[in-house]
Amino acid sequence: MSHWGFILAAYAVTGAGTIGLVAASWTAMRRAERQADALRGER
Amino acid sequence: MKAKNQRLVLLVLAVAAVLGAVLLAMSALKEQAAYFYAPADVARQGPPQDRNVRIGGMVRKGSVRRAPDGVTIDFLVGDDSPHLIPVRFKGIVPDLFREESGVVAEGRFQAGGLFVADEILAKHDENYMPPQLDVKTGEHKSESLK
Amino acid sequence: MHIFANPARFLKIARPLTPWLGWSGGLLIVAALAVGLFASPADYLQGESVRILYVHVPAAWLGMGGWTGLAIASFMQLVWRHPLAAVAARAIAVPGAAFTAICLITGALWGKPTWGTYWQWDARLTSMLILLFLYIAFIALDDAERERGGEGRITAIFGLVGAVNIPIIHYSVEYWNTLHQGQSISFLRGSSSIDASMLWPLLASALGFTLLFGAVVLMRMRAALARQKVEARLRRM
Repeated sequence: MSHWGFILAAYAVTGAGTIGLVAASWTAMRRAERQADALRGER
Repeated sequence: MKAKNQRLVLLVLAVAAVLGAVLLAMSALKEQAAYFYAPADVARQGPPQDRNVRIGGMVRKGSVRRAPDGVTIDFLVGDDSPHLIPVRFKGIVPDLFREESGVVAEGRFQAGGLFVADEILAKHDENYMPPQLDVKTGEHKSESLK
Repeated sequence: MHIFANPARFLKIARPLTPWLGWSGGLLIVAALAVGLFASPADYLQGESVRILYVHVPAAWLGMGGWTGLAIASFMQLVWRHPLAAVAARAIAVPGAAFTAICLITGALWGKPTWGTYWQWDARLTSMLILLFLYIAFIALDDAERERGGEGRITAIFGLVGAVNIPIIHYSVEYWNTLHQGQSISFLRGSSSIDASMLWPLLASALGFTLLFGAVVLMRMRAALARQKVEARLRRM
């Protein structure tokens, strides 16, 4: 049925958006916290 | 008064003022920002002539007539008021267009009061239920009560 | 209220809370959407496309709830100069904008098979689009103000004033004639015109997305705090 095309598109947009958001936030956090920890180690 | 409390009072007043301004603007925009006219609005203000408008309401039960050419349909749009708007549309209607269901039509009023629509949209209501449930009451049909 | 004013104390709670919120939210979303896609019934009128509801409505709630949280944080920043409030408001902006965009896109994909159109300029759709623009403006304003080394006070005022759009979105379907249907769920009255077989996956999905939203906000706050620490250290060197 043609409705499934719209449903799958909506779920794909939601899935890609959510996973992208979590992945970007997670990697940014890891990078920032690693830099902060490295600075503490230097002292 | 401590600076902290002063800021609190000032900010609360500012938010209240902005909220009041927005409410005023909203009441001024009540008519202009309406997405469509209901039959009662049209009866009160008179049908707007010479410009494209949208009307909306319920498709009256038993009013849908298909012309012999197969693409033109005529139906009546009503609301809670006793007023009805006759609508004519040539084209393909959405899947959800049906009698006793919401509809929004964009088009123009003719001199005789007939509304000729260029576009028909189905308006959904706020009820969501599986097909075996009764539309009006939300209760199980007699089938499951037997 | 000032328990979390101390970033060190905040981090002590935020660090273990992040994975908990993330995993519980993620699992709940997967379960709720699996039920929504395969186990819940089709609608009597909309047919199968009602399944878009399970992603569209949580996204809408988070877009609106996000700005509500952002406005509260901005308020706390302005009144009490709460050191974490600005960090929190900034951390909410990007996920809030993302879910508002998801809401608009999934709404268009629902509108086409149901109404017969992707987009119409009715009060609900337009006010939701304005919310997305407000988020984008907030993010841009925040970037510009931080670049100049400001305290973020203008951004906070903008966050607070922008909150007037939230009640407009909420009441738009009651106040104006809109193509968008009226509200189905009223938390104040505790009533719903959605059948239980569709309501439970919807609420589970909304809870899951909310938990995940919380995890994302914590991640972004932790990243901002770590960056602040690095910047402060570099300045002293």
